Amino acid sequence: MGVIYLMLIVSLIIALFFLFSFLWATKNGQYDDDYTPSVRMLFDEEVSNETNKNNSNGNSEV
Amino acid sequence: MAQNCFHCSDEIIGKGIKFDDKVFCCNGCKSVYELLTTSSLNSFYSIENNAGTKPNTLEDNRFSFLDVPKIRTKHIEFEDENSVRLTLFLPQIHCSSCIYLLENIQKLETSITSCQVNFAKREAYFIVDKNYPLSKLADLLASIGYTPNFGNRSENSKKQNYNYLYKLGVAGFAFGSIMLWSVPEHLGIESDNTNFMAVTSYLTLLISLPVLFYSANEYLISAYKALKHKNLNLDVPISIGIIALYGQSAYSILSGDGSGYMDSFAGFIFFLLIGKWFQRKTYQSLSFDRDYTSYFPVAVTRLNNSTEEIIEIEDVEVGDTISIRNQEVIPCDSFLVSEEINIDYSFVTGESIPVTKVKGDFIYAGGKVIGKKTDFIVDKKSNRSHLTQLWNDFSKKESVVSTKSDKFSIYFLAALLVISTFAGIFWFFWDSSRTIEIIVSVLIVACPCALALSKPFALGNIIRSLGKKKLFLKNADVIEKLNETTDIVFDKTGTLTSGSGNNATYEGSELSAFEKEALLVLANSSSHPLSKSIVNHFLRNGFHSAWNLTEFNEKEGEGIEGVIENRRFKIGSYEFIHGKKIDVKNATESYISIDNQPVGKFTFESEFRDGIITALTKLNQTHSIHVLSGDRDKDKIYLKTNVPGLNQLHFNQSPKDKLNYIEKLEKSNRKCLMIGDGLNDSGALEMANCGIAISEDAFRFTPSSDAILDANELIHLPELLSTSRFATTILKTCYIFSVIYNIIGLSFALSGLLTPLIAAILMPISSISVVLISTLMARAKS
Repeated sequence: MGVIYLMLIVSLIIALFFLFSFLWATKNGQYDDDYTPSVRMLFDEEVSNETNKNNSNGNSEV
Repeated sequence: MAQNCFHCSDEIIGKGIKFDDKVFCCNGCKSVYELLTTSSLNSFYSIENNAGTKPNTLEDNRFSFLDVPKIRTKHIEFEDENSVRLTLFLPQIHCSSCIYLLENIQKLETSITSCQVNFAKREAYFIVDKNYPLSKLADLLASIGYTPNFGNRSENSKKQNYNYLYKLGVAGFAFGSIMLWSVPEHLGIESDNTNFMAVTSYLTLLISLPVLFYSANEYLISAYKALKHKNLNLDVPISIGIIALYGQSAYSILSGDGSGYMDSFAGFIFFLLIGKWFQRKTYQSLSFDRDYTSYFPVAVTRLNNSTEEIIEIEDVEVGDTISIRNQEVIPCDSFLVSEEINIDYSFVTGESIPVTKVKGDFIYAGGKVIGKKTDFIVDKKSNRSHLTQLWNDFSKKESVVSTKSDKFSIYFLAALLVISTFAGIFWFFWDSSRTIEIIVSVLIVACPCALALSKPFALGNIIRSLGKKKLFLKNADVIEKLNETTDIVFDKTGTLTSGSGNNATYEGSELSAFEKEALLVLANSSSHPLSKSIVNHFLRNGFHSAWNLTEFNEKEGEGIEGVIENRRFKIGSYEFIHGKKIDVKNATESYISIDNQPVGKFTFESEFRDGIITALTKLNQTHSIHVLSGDRDKDKIYLKTNVPGLNQLHFNQSPKDKLNYIEKLEKSNRKCLMIGDGLNDSGALEMANCGIAISEDAFRFTPSSDAILDANELIHLPELLSTSRFATTILKTCYIFSVIYNIIGLSFALSGLLTPLIAAILMPISSISVVLISTLMARAKS
């Protein structure tokens, strides 16, 4: 039944991973604004007259 | 048929400006449209209706203070060799189109690298080229309708506190993990494998440590503080429960009896913290703690032997000559140097009709200059002015640590002591080996966890439903303050009366329909508050107008004239119309002439808000109502006759009188709810047990207060107060449920049958049902 110890350790590692992702995301302001991103993702990239339609994401890097 | 502006959706008065098959109300709106279409940002108009905001017509160099190095560094957050990063507060952000436009602003100006909007805070984060002057950025934003507000710098830079989220995360992590590891034990799997049991229980003990010492520390500290001051609050029985639960479990782990109640313990803390988080509804874009500095301009122009220099408000010295632009607030008590100006004191008194001042007059700080740029000689520094003195001397309402103990906690603790003593005595004689165990399990189940949860959820739900009705509370404590109110004190001007416009009434010879429409067009061309009242007067009487104004002339402080269909219309002061001066005491009259023939005049009166009399009558049945006003007592009779039983009317009250009045009421053990709007009420709002600031525009000028109420919703105050009182009803219902759960739990504990498994089932059920009850009841009410 040694496998149950392995599972215990794995479950702890996964839970710790999620805990630290949560703390990290909170610290970086992930939960500061829950409205703007929901709107932002719906904006289409402008189809400019020169027909260069690219889907690059210009806003996300800060 | 009235037409509406394609950009700002306001009704078009007079001949609109045609462009590109669309009609605009003014050149400002047209040029925004032109700018957006040429930069292929057309989607702005298709994402949402009513997206546009009318751009302000601002003078040049309005934001030039941003280029003064010392001030510039205060506003930017980060600078490297290529770029500058800064966050601006743009209160006009109101819809998804705004986000679209601002985040694509680099199409309008290539020096802007990027912009990211935070809608909840009404803020935008810009990265711009280092050499691009910030004043130009501000000008660009103002020209498309988003004037940056530099007023509350200190609050913008305030860092968010994430501690409560960290604590929640840690408790959630521990709760989930311990639950998972307890499953084999609860199901009896692996029960013969003592090694495995020992490993899980020691792991459990390890990760429960941060829950006790980090996540739950607020409760323990609060209980400790209360006991130290010989007080009781609800945190005391909660902490007793927490410690009993933890101590018992830790003991059973160390003595090798399995992991005890650790899963219930972590879950309990997790649910408590969720309650705290839910109660923390904040309105990030509103600020409840503004002080006087946020009303004043950031910098002023100082005239120094014919050279101008821009300096910060703090650097202004007595004797300096400063120059204030149109629509800017005068920051210091000072003497007027320019000839004659109008000053709008609506931030201070709530009265929107401007006051005329002449050369040499002493001017109090807080007024807004209307008209041309004006020079003043400073008499007192900004922080020594009449208005700010009031603030400094009286606003230090000491944060009283509530010394009254929680009545419920006393009964609760008394019952707890009695029950556990009797249980202890009984079991001592029945089976003395189990005495300690029984007492501990009584303490564990008696922990008022459902009770502790019901409060944050009930209050959180009520805050949300009040927010939907445009009463924004600073925090959950305000609900309790509202509910204990015995006396409501109203300011009159700007609160009971409408702050945005005055009732204009016409006296004089009969006007034809054409003449009325022509006057409407003429008045609409001016931004003077009285002109706006005249426009409202005609619009309310159902007039629209599409006449074209062929000639227009505005003389600051005198009047306006214009030509329509070859006829000359004039609106203005007596002197402007009649050509000679009269000694008018009451300046709130506008005279009219048509083709240089005087025909009549408009008189203006502040008008009571529609429905306010009914609201006052209703409130008077449940509370004692007082009205304080800085005005003369011309409305006394009106209020007295219309609101039966309203006797406490006080007129000619200075800001200090208002403050003293509240202080006197509070001293005689009345709980005051002060409702006011202007800076002159700020002292009273602070002094009162609860202060509500009335605002036509909640993002702008509100004195510091416990709550902000949209001015149009003031007439619904009786309903709002009853919603707030409903919180008590919800709490009582939840108390009943929590007592039932405690009785069930106690019966297990007293009979010696409480096991970790039963606790693990009972605890979440009681918590979740209480959360459901309070949410459903609040929903049903709203």
